[in-house]
Amino acid sequence: MREPIFGRFDPPRSSDHLLGPVQRLKTPMRHYRESEEVDVCIVGVGSAGGVLLQRLSRAGLRVVGIESGPFWDVERDWVSDEAGSHKLYWNDLRITAGANPITLGENNSGHGVGGGSVHWAAFAPRFHPSDFHIYELDGVGVDWPFRYDVIRPYYEMLEREMPVAGPARFPWGYPHSYPYGPHPSAGVGDVLIKGCTKLGIPVVAGGPVAILSGSYGDRQHCIYRGFCIQGCKVGAKQSTLYSHVPDAVACGAEIRDRSMAARVNLRPDGLVSGVTYFDAAGNERHQRCKLVVISGYAIETPRLLLNSASPGHEKGLANSSDTVGRYLMVQAGNVILGRFPQLIRLYKGPPAHALTEEFYETDPRRDFARGFAVQTVGPLPIAFAKQMMVAKGAWGWGLRKVMMDYNHWATLGLLGELLPWADNRVTIAEERDGHGLPVAKVTYGLKENDKKLIEFGKRKVMEIMSAAGAEEVVQEARYAHLIGGARMGDDPDTSVVDRFGCSHDIPNLFCCDGSILPTQGSANPGLTIQSLAARTANYIIAQSDRLSQGLRGLPEEPPIRHDLSPPGTYQRGIPRIPWPARQS
Amino acid sequence: MASRAAQRRRLLRQALHEETLITQHIREGRFQRSLAVVAALASLMSGGEVAYEHYRGSYGQQIMYTPIILSAGLTATGVAAAFNRLIARRLLPLISLLVLVDGVVGFIFHVRGIARKPGGWRVPVNNMIMGPPVFAPLLFGLSGYLGLIASFLRRENDPAALEPIADRVPDIGLRQGRGLRAALPRLTREGLIFEHHVREGRFQRNIAAVAGISAFFSGCEAAYSHYQNGFQYRWLQSSPLLIAPLLTLTGIGSIWSRRLATTLLPVISALALSDGAMGTFFHARGVLRKPGGLRLPLYNLIYGPPLFAPMLLSASGFLGLLAALLRRPAHT
Amino acid sequence: MTSQNPAADHLLPVDPQSGSPLDPRRQPGYYPGFSTLDQRAFWDAATRQTVMDRVEQVPAIRFFDGGEAATMQAICNRILPQDDRDPERRIPVLNYLDNRLYSGMSDGYRYEDMPADGDAFRLGIQAIDEISVHLHAKRFTELEMAQQEEVLETIHDAHPPAGGNIWKRMPVDRFWLLLVQDIAAAYYAHPWSWDEIGFGGPAYPRGYVRLENGKAEPWEKDEQRYEWEPPPGARSGGYRPVGGGRPHHAPPGQSGTH
Repeated sequence: MREPIFGRFDPPRSSDHLLGPVQRLKTPMRHYRESEEVDVCIVGVGSAGGVLLQRLSRAGLRVVGIESGPFWDVERDWVSDEAGSHKLYWNDLRITAGANPITLGENNSGHGVGGGSVHWAAFAPRFHPSDFHIYELDGVGVDWPFRYDVIRPYYEMLEREMPVAGPARFPWGYPHSYPYGPHPSAGVGDVLIKGCTKLGIPVVAGGPVAILSGSYGDRQHCIYRGFCIQGCKVGAKQSTLYSHVPDAVACGAEIRDRSMAARVNLRPDGLVSGVTYFDAAGNERHQRCKLVVISGYAIETPRLLLNSASPGHEKGLANSSDTVGRYLMVQAGNVILGRFPQLIRLYKGPPAHALTEEFYETDPRRDFARGFAVQTVGPLPIAFAKQMMVAKGAWGWGLRKVMMDYNHWATLGLLGELLPWADNRVTIAEERDGHGLPVAKVTYGLKENDKKLIEFGKRKVMEIMSAAGAEEVVQEARYAHLIGGARMGDDPDTSVVDRFGCSHDIPNLFCCDGSILPTQGSANPGLTIQSLAARTANYIIAQSDRLSQGLRGLPEEPPIRHDLSPPGTYQRGIPRIPWPARQS
Repeated sequence: MASRAAQRRRLLRQALHEETLITQHIREGRFQRSLAVVAALASLMSGGEVAYEHYRGSYGQQIMYTPIILSAGLTATGVAAAFNRLIARRLLPLISLLVLVDGVVGFIFHVRGIARKPGGWRVPVNNMIMGPPVFAPLLFGLSGYLGLIASFLRRENDPAALEPIADRVPDIGLRQGRGLRAALPRLTREGLIFEHHVREGRFQRNIAAVAGISAFFSGCEAAYSHYQNGFQYRWLQSSPLLIAPLLTLTGIGSIWSRRLATTLLPVISALALSDGAMGTFFHARGVLRKPGGLRLPLYNLIYGPPLFAPMLLSASGFLGLLAALLRRPAHT
Repeated sequence: MTSQNPAADHLLPVDPQSGSPLDPRRQPGYYPGFSTLDQRAFWDAATRQTVMDRVEQVPAIRFFDGGEAATMQAICNRILPQDDRDPERRIPVLNYLDNRLYSGMSDGYRYEDMPADGDAFRLGIQAIDEISVHLHAKRFTELEMAQQEEVLETIHDAHPPAGGNIWKRMPVDRFWLLLVQDIAAAYYAHPWSWDEIGFGGPAYPRGYVRLENGKAEPWEKDEQRYEWEPPPGARSGGYRPVGGGRPHHAPPGQSGTH
């Protein structure tokens, strides 16, 4: 067949705002006047911001989201092409420094409504119970201000709202089942399964990933095209753009896209009064509000706090502890590449579709604390060429030659926990961006435990790759994800926000995104970020009377609010299997 | 030695007698209990298959639970019908009809499901392979059909003689009328005649046609799922594509030809039956050979070659064999 | 720019058995006859527009000046040699690279010890010429293929024998990775390169049906391997770790994978 029936696929005819082949924004968006004091202003409509926006607007609050990037019409704006998807990433200048600097941009930072969730690979494992108190267990890092049981109901709720597809029994951490069934395995998943099985390592296939293995309202089943991190045009891979933003808009939230927040403003009494931002035309504007939530992720959240320095807050807002920007983390993300005699065709299927967390926990037989996961990855040609450039030192004819074998290679990713260190941090650089705002400088270096973990993990993954039958195994060092920069804790001297995301310094200033996580485990942080956002939203709703009067919220765990989930999410999918928790 | 030979002869005689008895029961439509059990088994298998196929689709819509519930119901009713005449006559047809209707509703939903996939029916091959299996719900309805037929039959221990058709089908009046009012009595009368024929074991044409149609659906399913696999095992994977259409042709042809029904139909049906059995074996082998093998039992069962699919071809073969044993209405 | 070498035979890959050069092809690689562009009716309109623009609307050189462009073209020819391609089927990587720098398309960060990307390229070109002069007393464009590779190899190994002042302003290993990744990104964004390596290309609305065991889609081609080796004397055919000794350097612009 040279063409589809009735000829080539034409541009969509409808003038609606399209979110995938079937889903569309059904209601026109509400608009608030600037002079109007709204209840909540959220800076950044990404993973956390999208969930917050939906929860708060469904609870009846007047909410405005300020997003630096566009409000995507995915049928028209996104492409099924690697180079053409550059616009999905945060491409404004940042300075990266330190002994082992982090690459930013497409590696870890999103831009536009949906934020990082637009281009994550959608692995959605939970953190393990141990992740919440690693200082107590292993004497490293820091303990969270709460334990696993606090976040568990939110994990269960978000796994249904996203929803997460995965095995009927996920054996590691707190064993659980998934509301959507697992995906079929593709070439790389088969390699991981074979290698692990050979070595007797338990492995799960087909998830957990926030990709639809079944329809979900107007969102469609995955078509296994492999362009997950280029933004899923199918509507199968979850981003808050698909799962939460439509309901937020239906509930009366406003999103001001292409609007770059410049600073958070204070009233004379020391409370936050609103946000100053640059609109799409570059005009400076102010939005008044009773409460601000910053959801800009691990670099932009600290940057905004630091750029909002004002009399009385010379070091930046919420920074009396000098913790803003500190304890920035990345995960070890080494890619291990193996060449196989047979064809693999690694570009098919979602990059994320099989993993093992067998090495997740601290093992006293190893000489380092904490552990790592092993996951499938699926680089498309450009990413693969860049990996070969490092992993084999390839260039010239050698690069052409190894690239011709693209379909013979399989790729596995290490995902290792690196610990929080005070001197790994975001600060303000001298350079300024197009709006004249100082850009962020990110300093990062690895410590002893981190290096040992990477070395061990890398070797283990290479062992798995060889066991699967690879005739040549190489690896490339890199990082994945960003965490920290405005961490939460009970002690105002060592943390930026309290256990609910409210800043210790200013009662009506919240942070809620990956930056508030004190540690990161070896799990991809997306699910945890969105779960924490649902919890912070519940807290803001439960304490809204006090918060709107400028009083600090009471330190009470908010009630679980299933009624605030997007409609229909609670009836969908497979009933949860109550696996007994493992005794540890 | 002699006594042993005599014993063997006696056994053979007994077996022959049993065989004649079964054949006679079938010819006379006196096999309600057996067919009810067969319907129950078929329902159990297709229910099992739907359960994991819909698990693959994550039960994304509530209606996806209905075939599971109904097939469980049909299994239970079928078994109960083997012991209880009243259940066989009253409850079995009701549940069976629901299963049939659910199959048709499922078919409509699957067609819609494919339409809603990116590209929809404009890339039919892709979306039929990767979307909901379009004919599977109709095949699911097959157990409902068996249950329905079983409910019409007489029981094995019923008297062989049957009251004449005129007594059972009273003249309900073919009054002049228009539209539905005219059609309804006619339909009812046709229905009663059909029921009578079933009771007499005179429904060869009907069941042969169903065997043919179900073979067609299962052939289609085999065609696109083996195409997905790229016909890696060329002859093995082609065999259902050769046998299924043959069974379809002979099954449909048997509507008109008694000779076809008694000669070619049983042969092709036996072929289909054994091909399905062989397919089941190879599919089971395929499941075990998936990466991880038995260490990922559920996963490899749902994403390996479908274990129950070849059995559906076997089921068509079984229907064809059954048809060959049946009679046709007296006037043909 | 193979036109600078009229006897271009020695630039061609060779058959390892006979040692004789392999003729340039319309489409090198192991998937003869495979064409992603042939499938474009199955792509969505936005993707088709993006990819067709890339093929048909090649941007003019606007960032590099004439001399820089000539040197940069010669560098591109060595970082991703295309002598095995028919001249009309060579991918204009320099134009795409130039366009990125001209339009200021950033990767979203800059190493503290690196100048802005555009400046890095200008400095790099200058340094490469300095190394060429140092080693062979000629500009880079005037060198033989093997000599050009020798010059580039010193940067790959992070032991440049000249250009010290420039390397003080810009770590040599970071420049090497910037250079190779930008050229590779331009080359492997082009549908002709996808045909070469057997990548399926855009896949929406039509996705894949054969996910496992490396099976080809009905519209893809099976692999038909042939043996080839880099041209005699070429130094880029082997594989050596990038120099610089940074154990945990993530290369700039590394695409997200997980």
